[in-house]
Amino acid sequence: MMNIDRTSVEAELRKFVGADIYVHSEATSFVFVRNFKVRATDARIAGEGPYRVALRFDGHGWLRMEALTHYEADEAGRLLLAGYDDRGRMHVALHLGKEPFPE
Amino acid sequence: MSERRTQAGRRLLAVFAHPDDETFICGGTLAKYASEGVDITLVSATRGEMGRRMGNPPYLNRETIAAAREQELRQACERLGIRQLRFLGIRDKTVEFIDGEKLTATVEALIRDLDPDVVLTFHEKLGGHPDHCAIGRATTAAYRRAGRKGSLYFISFGSEMERPERYGYTRNDIVRIDVSAHLEAKLAAFRAHRCQTEIDEWVWRPDREALSRFGKHEYFIRADAAAGSGRNSRDLF
Repeated sequence: MMNIDRTSVEAELRKFVGADIYVHSEATSFVFVRNFKVRATDARIAGEGPYRVALRFDGHGWLRMEALTHYEADEAGRLLLAGYDDRGRMHVALHLGKEPFPE
Repeated sequence: MSERRTQAGRRLLAVFAHPDDETFICGGTLAKYASEGVDITLVSATRGEMGRRMGNPPYLNRETIAAAREQELRQACERLGIRQLRFLGIRDKTVEFIDGEKLTATVEALIRDLDPDVVLTFHEKLGGHPDHCAIGRATTAAYRRAGRKGSLYFISFGSEMERPERYGYTRNDIVRIDVSAHLEAKLAAFRAHRCQTEIDEWVWRPDREALSRFGKHEYFIRADAAAGSGRNSRDLF
């Protein structure tokens, strides 16, 4: 995982716009959702760090997450975004893929 | 059951929820019995893939943590002397939501297959985490269904069972294992669970300092109260 570079993440997010995507989203101590499938119509990043990312999907929905600090575009073509604290604990994660994540 | 086998042929089955449960909670005891030749099988219901700790500084993410923790557990097992390791393939944080009947049947089959002299698991109420309580409940039910008696123990945290009355138990219900000769192995296993322990600075201090953080004893609750009378309160076998 690398520190988020906004321009790079913006470019990565664009690859998922207009596509059917699988999403893993979690606020680690409270909730996770794995492999919900949506058609993304917009995907944007905001902030100066930590960052906020939002998806619009299916013409009627939003997913917005904040406190994101790191990202990785992995070799499977997935975009992994996460927020860590200063001791390596992950608080939030937002993963986008064009195939389901392992259950 | 301990009469049935020679010292070296004894078997212990531990059924826990996450990689690191075996080390953090009862690593000294497992190292002690392994060093005496006990054949130990560890079952981990999950791969701990929903953990928060990602290394410090972080080098893991939700998609890479499962393989890392599996590898760490294999190394911890080597350091403790645990020879067999099995995973049940349940996703971390979901053990209480899967079919309890199926889970119980899986553990029962393991007990019948391995024929252990001692079984360790979590107490279904004192487990401290929903996954712990769920695997403890299933393992306890499996143990009873397999027709076993007198050799099931619940693991406990730190020295909380020094005063068992607070939890509704008496001293007769508790086995206290002296692990003072096996703390080096326990520390080595803590360090094997690197992504989970990097946040705890004491683990990485010089050995002598780190070792001083461990208690000399680990405590186990007898699942069958009647099994306590006349039994050795310093030995699980």
